[in-house]
Amino acid sequence: MNNYLYYRIVSFSLLLSLVFTSCKHDKEHEYHSITDKIEAESKKYKGISTTSHLYIDGLNLIEVTENEITFLIPTRKDKIKSYKCTECHTKPLAKMQSDDIKKAHWNLKLNHANANTMNCTTCHNGNNMDELISITGHKIDFDKSFNQCSQCHQKQYNDWAGGAHGKRIESWATPRASMTCVNCHNPHSPHFETKWPERFNSKKVEIRK
Amino acid sequence: MSDNNKKWFTLNLNSSRHKQTSNSCGCGKNSGGCNSHNEKKEMSDEEFYEAAVDASIGEERNKDGFQQVFDVKMDRRSAFKKLTASLLIGAGAVSSCTSVISSDETKEKAQINWEEQFKGNYKLMNDDEKKATVDRLVRSYQLRTGKNISMSSKNAEDDVLFGYAFNISKCQGYMDCVSACVEENNQDRNSQMEYIRIHEMKDGKGFNFNEADDNYYHEVPAEGHFYMGTQCFHCDNPPCVDVCPVQATWREDDGLVVIDYDWCVGCRYCMAACPYDGRRFNWSKPQVPEEEVNKNQHYLGNRMRKKGVMEKCTFCVQRSRAGKNPACVEACPTGARIFGNLLDPKSTIRWVLENKKVFRLKEDLGTEPKFWYFMD
Repeated sequence: MNNYLYYRIVSFSLLLSLVFTSCKHDKEHEYHSITDKIEAESKKYKGISTTSHLYIDGLNLIEVTENEITFLIPTRKDKIKSYKCTECHTKPLAKMQSDDIKKAHWNLKLNHANANTMNCTTCHNGNNMDELISITGHKIDFDKSFNQCSQCHQKQYNDWAGGAHGKRIESWATPRASMTCVNCHNPHSPHFETKWPERFNSKKVEIRK
Repeated sequence: MSDNNKKWFTLNLNSSRHKQTSNSCGCGKNSGGCNSHNEKKEMSDEEFYEAAVDASIGEERNKDGFQQVFDVKMDRRSAFKKLTASLLIGAGAVSSCTSVISSDETKEKAQINWEEQFKGNYKLMNDDEKKATVDRLVRSYQLRTGKNISMSSKNAEDDVLFGYAFNISKCQGYMDCVSACVEENNQDRNSQMEYIRIHEMKDGKGFNFNEADDNYYHEVPAEGHFYMGTQCFHCDNPPCVDVCPVQATWREDDGLVVIDYDWCVGCRYCMAACPYDGRRFNWSKPQVPEEEVNKNQHYLGNRMRKKGVMEKCTFCVQRSRAGKNPACVEACPTGARIFGNLLDPKSTIRWVLENKKVFRLKEDLGTEPKFWYFMD
């Protein structure tokens, strides 16, 4: 009888230990999915030592806050060849448009939307060439030209502010530095041209014959 | 050797780092016969039996595999036998580096080769061992080519989990990424190895890989087509890691799936296990012209590979762990590629995952790739 009890205790404890050891709790399979893992582990996120300073510190950047997201973008005015524009455009545009004056910007063609929607003065302020102008007549700084683009391209603007449109500069780490619209798009002809691919793999063709 | 707990054997030709321990004899053995300890008398039969049992199984339970091989206690006869055999084998290898007439450089080369041959798996190394092997590889490259490279053994940082997003409505099929990847990662120019594939797909047919072309050569973007790229997706539950018989590939803490090229035996199980065609094999010795070699390297990344080992995209570990974007992200002229830290709630990659409609390839396999696709 005593022996029987002993066996019962032993087998019960064996069963118990089996139950506890079979519940694997290794770190590899802690989460059901990667989204669960990201959500859980980012709750205790305290920042990291890797930063982008090494790569962006020498660049001319300005801080902007769009859609409550703060990041850095490159300046524009210092990259325009003959800024300030008023060094040539001494008079308002209307007064400079006469036949006897030398033509400037003759090589510029506007290939952006169509003539119904856009002409030079949709963006450029004819009375002060040093700045841009919004549809409703508000001044826009050349360094913040994204405000010009976002008037029509709201969707792209929102994606850009979030980080889904456009490119980061050099580094994925913080502080975030992103390119602005005009770093990729020529505002006078904003679409991307077709071109030949960078590479052709002749070995792949051989193998697949 | 067992004192400093090294995982591999050191020939120790040039340096005198390892002093003889006081209780061992001049031949370097702790037991057995070299006849230099005269005070020890012949054993009785019983003592010998005890010692033999002790030698065969005695300490094996607390020794690792390497020590089991090299620290075995044995009787005089088999000790001499083994010593003679190993001396004959070793003579050839050692003669070049111990010989008086050969130069210091040859000796150093032999020393490096020996230590590299018997080093452990990178995954199991501590930081000092990692640094030592990286230093050896740098020195070895210098001895062979006379050129200096920099190689990192930087570990994964806490609170970092790398993720990638690919915008299929932005990609135009220019293949700048492919080109940048080949140059960054020192891929074999002879076999034209490429980690990234850009697939040209017909509009309206969805992701139809059977009809897609990943080696087009015409002006892009072509009418009626869209483009999407594939590469290693750095799965969080990687099937390639499970099948590796020698654990030469594993997932790092920052999510990168990496390979120790020196531990890989080239069985290509991982290539077969990967559902995304993410892995590449070196059928021949990779050739990269000396002037094109990217000298900014990482042990787990773009250091020079050898014949018969696997390799693949590492999200440019030499760049990403230093805070830079991978080469493909930097090269893309359309901004279709987004890279970042998934654990940082304010990162751009997190914004994409939370605000765009994202999906992954073959999600039902449960591989949990950290590579998402999305559209504008």
